[in-house]
Amino acid sequence: MPENTIQPKLCQKCVLPETFPGIKFDAAGVCSYCQKDEKTIEKAPVRKAQYRQRLDQLVKETQAEARTYDAIMAYSGGKDSSYTLKLLRDRYDLRIAALTFDNHFVSPAAYDNIKKVCDALHVDHIIFKPPWSVIKPLFALTAQTDPFAAPTLLRASSICTACIGLVKSLVLKTALEMSIPLVAFGWSPGQAPIQSGIMKTNPRLIRMNQSALKKALPVEIAASITPYLLPDQYYEKYDHKFPHNIHPLAFFDYDETAIKEELGTIGWQAPSDTDTNSSNCLLNAYANQCHIKRCSFHPYVWEIANLVRQGVMTRNEGIEKIYTEQNAEMVRYAQTRLT
Amino acid sequence: MMDEIKAKIRAFIVENFLYGEDSELDDDTSFLGDGIIDSTGILELVGFLEETFEIEVDDEELLPENLDSLDNVAAYVARKI
Repeated sequence: MPENTIQPKLCQKCVLPETFPGIKFDAAGVCSYCQKDEKTIEKAPVRKAQYRQRLDQLVKETQAEARTYDAIMAYSGGKDSSYTLKLLRDRYDLRIAALTFDNHFVSPAAYDNIKKVCDALHVDHIIFKPPWSVIKPLFALTAQTDPFAAPTLLRASSICTACIGLVKSLVLKTALEMSIPLVAFGWSPGQAPIQSGIMKTNPRLIRMNQSALKKALPVEIAASITPYLLPDQYYEKYDHKFPHNIHPLAFFDYDETAIKEELGTIGWQAPSDTDTNSSNCLLNAYANQCHIKRCSFHPYVWEIANLVRQGVMTRNEGIEKIYTEQNAEMVRYAQTRLT
Repeated sequence: MMDEIKAKIRAFIVENFLYGEDSELDDDTSFLGDGIIDSTGILELVGFLEETFEIEVDDEELLPENLDSLDNVAAYVARKI
């Protein structure tokens, strides 16, 4: 283990700690999540191939009818969304609008990467930046408490869940308004199960999700984010136009080193101004620390454990990513801004 | 058969989303409305249904009336198998 680490008992196969909710260990110290995932991992190559074919087919169908853009990409400028953008351009030659949600913590290095990648791939870029007066109370609240549904805590800090909730809503809203049939996300195969790789969005499920998001927040904050959510009339107005969400990295080859090398050819560089789990956000280290303090496990441990099980990274690399202390300077920077 | 289906689904929800604690889960509890499952969780539920009951959940079937409570999911699965 790296220096300055916390050392709970870990699964001998992945990196999940004894503090992870619902975890059990067998006599060999292998966790119940690893045991449960065995079948899924065995079947993954076949399912991934099926999903690649499905995406080929879906692109053919939607390209014929798309008016302006074939896809909108939720684009953070990080490694995974940059690679997804490149993949969609290279493999399908899609006309893509890349939308970056600027949460006031996008790193300067990420902005450099965004500019280089969009120019190199000939992609139109949209930046959406709500005022600090909206963002600060939302992040200040989620730094202090966990207002969302308990299962969200397994996969992300409450700060990230709040941020991603707005991102998802904004890209969907833009897709509907611009009649864009595909919404792309750069979730890693550790974040997105294969069956989530291609999914038609359903107005009623989206409505329930957005309502749950608002319900979880204090009235004033819920009101301040309402303009960024889907207006009620959209559910009927665009009922038949709800797009497909696609998460290509869930079913395409995923190798971090190869991805970084390939992105290097279009000018993307791994940033040195972010923490070990993010390549775009200056709030992430603080978000991680808040989550670890309240939940006693790292908010990225679920994703990294999945990547270790899938053979995308070694267990030691996973341990390095998860069990290194958060960078104190980055934590202080975000904490100060939110206080 | 319905009871058997429901029991399997309940066990999955309790194990994966309620960490073994099933006291708050009634047959008609709304998964999304009561914050038991989030949007990613719905997809995991779909994966479980496809695997366990050997059914295929189509895009247009991703509806609250099929997936948002134990009653709804069990009735949906019973119709599919």
